[in-house]
Amino acid sequence: MAKLADALEEQIQAIFSSDTPWVTIVWDDPVNLQSYVTYVFMELFGYSKAKATELMLQVHNDGKAIVSTGSREEMEHDVARLHEYGLWATLQRGDQI
Amino acid sequence: MSATEGFNRHGAHSYVAQFDETEREVLLNLVEQIIELLAERVDHGHEDPLAAMVGITSHDSPPEDEVLHRLLPNAYADDIDAAEFRRYTESTLRGKKQAHAMSIRMGLKSSPEGDIEVDHTGANDWLGGLNDIRLALGVRLKIENNNYEHLELLSPDDPLRGVYAVYTWLGWLQETLLTALMDEISE
Repeated sequence: MAKLADALEEQIQAIFSSDTPWVTIVWDDPVNLQSYVTYVFMELFGYSKAKATELMLQVHNDGKAIVSTGSREEMEHDVARLHEYGLWATLQRGDQI
Repeated sequence: MSATEGFNRHGAHSYVAQFDETEREVLLNLVEQIIELLAERVDHGHEDPLAAMVGITSHDSPPEDEVLHRLLPNAYADDIDAAEFRRYTESTLRGKKQAHAMSIRMGLKSSPEGDIEVDHTGANDWLGGLNDIRLALGVRLKIENNNYEHLELLSPDDPLRGVYAVYTWLGWLQETLLTALMDEISE
């Protein structure tokens, strides 16, 4: 029983905890140029060319990539900026991927 | 249509392009269509003016038009979260996309000779605006999973053939600007 209670407590804590990380996901899109996606990652997130290229390739090869992590508000901000530049992005709770 | 060189670097944080008459007209026509399309989505006076002032719209469902849907996508997989987010953010997003298109339009309008010079911010406007046009054309051309076969095989009198040529040209133009920007970053 103790084990169940622990698991339950963890669940409840996760629900109420404000520091559960959220993630921004960018999905593959056949129109956006690879160089453009890389540039947008560098420009919006300040990532190095190497990191931005790695993320772009992950989007291209796996169909999606987590490009940023943080609070829900921060991720909503990131998604809005990615939409401004035409990237296909969504946010979700980090523990629900 | 690629008679010109596209964008080139011109000193620090400056990028130039020279468009011929046809190119300039095609670009103007396309950005104006994007501006018009986004304007169609604007709310029609039936809402609380105070809410409109702070950017809250009556839209909580995604646009039915496929192109508008791609330009203004859902931020959440969950429909309820997506609707809530859209209500508070869609008009801002529309405004930003219109601003990118307007920046391109203004640059072209102010130079009948087709000479364009942009700084870093202007370059981002062009990138975002050109990308929106490509996304819009991509929907109409049904570009999916990097499959261009159906487009390469279009008959010469198919109107989509011209659209595909413009789409390809815009991609090339965007690439020249990206090369110029990246070139500067890596220095």
